[in-house]
Amino acid sequence: MLLLQLVINGLQLGAIYALTAVGFSLIFGATKVFHVAHGAAFTIAAYLFWWTSAVLHMPWPVAALIAVLAAVLFGLFMERFVYRPIQRHEGAFFTVFIAAFGVQIIVQNLVGTIFGRGFVSVTTSLSRSVEVMPGLFVAPIAAISIVVAIIVFTVLTYYLTRTHTGMAMRALSENPDLIRVFGLDPARVAQYAFAIGSAIVVPGAIFTAMTAGLNPAVGAHVMLISLAATIVGGIGSLRGAACGGLLLGLAENLALWRLDPQWSEAVTFVVLFLFIIFRPAGFFGRPHGAK
Amino acid sequence: MSPAADSIGGEVLLQATDVAKTFGGLKAVDNVTFALRAGIITTLVGPNGAGKTTLFNLMTGHLVPDQGEVLWLGKSILRLPHWKIARLGIGRSFQDLKLFANMTVEENVETVTERGSWLWQPGGPSARTARKEKVEATLAATGLVDKRHDRAVDLAYAERKFLSLARILASGARLWLLDEPASGLDPGSYERFLSLLRKQVREGVTICIIEHNLDIVQGISDRIAFLDQGRLLAEGDPKTILSDPALAAIYFGERAA
Amino acid sequence: MWAYIVNLAVLISINAILAVTLNFILGYAGIFSIAHALFFGVGAYTATFVAMKLGADFLLSTAAGMAVGALISLALALPALRVRGEYFVAASLGLQMLAITVFTEWKSVTGGIGGLTNIPPARILGFEVTKPEHFLVLSLTCLVLIILIIRALVRSSFGRSLKAIRDDETAAWAYGKNVAIIKTTAVVLSSALCAVGGSLYAFYLSFINVESFTLDTSVQLMAMVIIGGTATLFGPVVGTILILLLPAGLSYLPYLPPTEIGSIQQIAYGLAMVLLMIYRPGGLWGFQEKPKAKEGGAP
Repeated sequence: MLLLQLVINGLQLGAIYALTAVGFSLIFGATKVFHVAHGAAFTIAAYLFWWTSAVLHMPWPVAALIAVLAAVLFGLFMERFVYRPIQRHEGAFFTVFIAAFGVQIIVQNLVGTIFGRGFVSVTTSLSRSVEVMPGLFVAPIAAISIVVAIIVFTVLTYYLTRTHTGMAMRALSENPDLIRVFGLDPARVAQYAFAIGSAIVVPGAIFTAMTAGLNPAVGAHVMLISLAATIVGGIGSLRGAACGGLLLGLAENLALWRLDPQWSEAVTFVVLFLFIIFRPAGFFGRPHGAK
Repeated sequence: MSPAADSIGGEVLLQATDVAKTFGGLKAVDNVTFALRAGIITTLVGPNGAGKTTLFNLMTGHLVPDQGEVLWLGKSILRLPHWKIARLGIGRSFQDLKLFANMTVEENVETVTERGSWLWQPGGPSARTARKEKVEATLAATGLVDKRHDRAVDLAYAERKFLSLARILASGARLWLLDEPASGLDPGSYERFLSLLRKQVREGVTICIIEHNLDIVQGISDRIAFLDQGRLLAEGDPKTILSDPALAAIYFGERAA
Repeated sequence: MWAYIVNLAVLISINAILAVTLNFILGYAGIFSIAHALFFGVGAYTATFVAMKLGADFLLSTAAGMAVGALISLALALPALRVRGEYFVAASLGLQMLAITVFTEWKSVTGGIGGLTNIPPARILGFEVTKPEHFLVLSLTCLVLIILIIRALVRSSFGRSLKAIRDDETAAWAYGKNVAIIKTTAVVLSSALCAVGGSLYAFYLSFINVESFTLDTSVQLMAMVIIGGTATLFGPVVGTILILLLPAGLSYLPYLPPTEIGSIQQIAYGLAMVLLMIYRPGGLWGFQEKPKAKEGGAP
């Protein structure tokens, strides 16, 4: 039974990682920006949700909307005022990386200063576990988060395969020059990518606020795992990022079956490390053509 | 296909046999068999996207062919990593130059002569002197002596092109694969460039150039190979190939039925 | 006041060692590692281990730290350098996070979260270094030596190879350089020299714990290198001084709540990093580059 419990916990956690990883992968695929400040979007959304619903007592749909708005605005802000200027003059990978890292530090500390560094969470009836079977505890929120993740992915897949901008985004990740052929403006597509990619993290952020709780480092933590998930799943593959996130969420929990809790996070990084060494292309990634 | 065997040029240095490379459904190089003979200048021509650079990459180990064989002096180099291939004596330049931008001209040339991977170079003082002389000679031959302390990124356009050539020259490579080395040069620099190439050929270097500009091609080719859509359509004497109307049509964009 | 200054100077010199050695791979070779704090930790823990078991001989402890640091860096470098630079960042990140868990859990060697205390004072050539002023001499000597070593390396053929790899790795391969070996050697050297800082740190404070060797530290080191100017010998030293002086400077501002100084410090250098990346036209390498031309240059 413990095993089943761990699997369910793993899926719930994995759903959160998967959502964040897909957002990151979407942005990277469409814009080639290694947006490691993506975790900051998570932090912002999570804290705003907590603050508006638990502190200001607004109804949760309103709080959720505010969170989405904030995440999207953050993504757009980064694209317009940080990444675009950099890419205009040089845009080397590491320049972007450092800038994003800097923003992530700023956001984490600002959040800590404004909202406090302690642990906060949103308690709802949904987060209380129900004993579904002897020894098996599932909180309704777990089921909801998995369902929401599936819905988000389905909608996203539809968007990417059926709509004009969505297909343009996919084309952009294959070959940036094609985009002009499509008659679309790369800047516009980049904005869409950042907006959507940042919005996707919000369900995960909300669930985290309701279950595990928040501290200012939560975004950075989720970002690390999402990065690992993207690599494990294969850079350039959204499916891979989702599977990678799921896999790492499961691994982190299943590790508890045999290892002490302190080591469960380490498992994630061992998996990452092994993948980088033995299969850098990840599960679904495209192996590089050149040596 | 190729009316080969009218062989001007010496032994076959680099030979690609039946090489192919596909990228995501697109056949970039399609069963090409191509040989570079010693002591001559061969030019590789063809419309944009014909696969010329890819062929270079396949022949120098930067890309692994999906099929086929690449031989250097008769021995297969398919399994060799590209740095070892370079040390065999095959040098190349790049269309986008790939200069070591933040290093000075002198450092760019100097570092090419230093092949060792460890903390000091083998060979002791005599080797060091030889390297110094090589650097001086290279700078003189390419007209970059006055610019030796300038950073590569600060050079003028023509000087960059010459620096790209200087690196290959300093490497002592026996075969030079040049990817559009003279594009955009003013006539004076262009003449200097060509005479430098011809001088090197007289001294034993073999050269293969990817070139777009047919006037340039006419000026220096001993042999021409014509590539289109990944396939080698023709190879041989420049006059014959350049006067072929079918090839001209392809080159200038009208596709034959 | 004097004691305060000496203390600050020692910490600056130790951190400068870390920054200078990080710059060796980051600024000169273009290798982005977020694992530098882990080698700092390895140096500290190993030196302490040797000091507690075999006597606090500084040279022996430091040598041990360097050896272990070099070995572990091989474990990171050899596999990870085969892949593209972006993956190396991720691998170094993974290793750093892994190391934190190891540092926290391997209680017999690292003392766990509590850390190791009562580290005996360093003994060098028969002389026991107890006074901070004397330690400052030791740490400054180490810093100067390390800077000289790196200077020699950078000016050598090895240094040129590193810079070539940084500027254009493809071209470096194409001109016969075994990029993987060269990068690995650089990482090993950088990590071994970094461990010297760890050894100094352990002997100076007589106490170490995992808090000093976390991801935050790695990021702070990176900030020191970047803000000070990469690919220059003294840039990292300048960056170190700036960043370490920051909390002291901030504490003089009257309207800043002291509890927030740590945060504000981080925000300050986070901001510096972002602004530098946006407004410094040439990117990271400490040069002023012209706006991106159509060919050449950009990595």
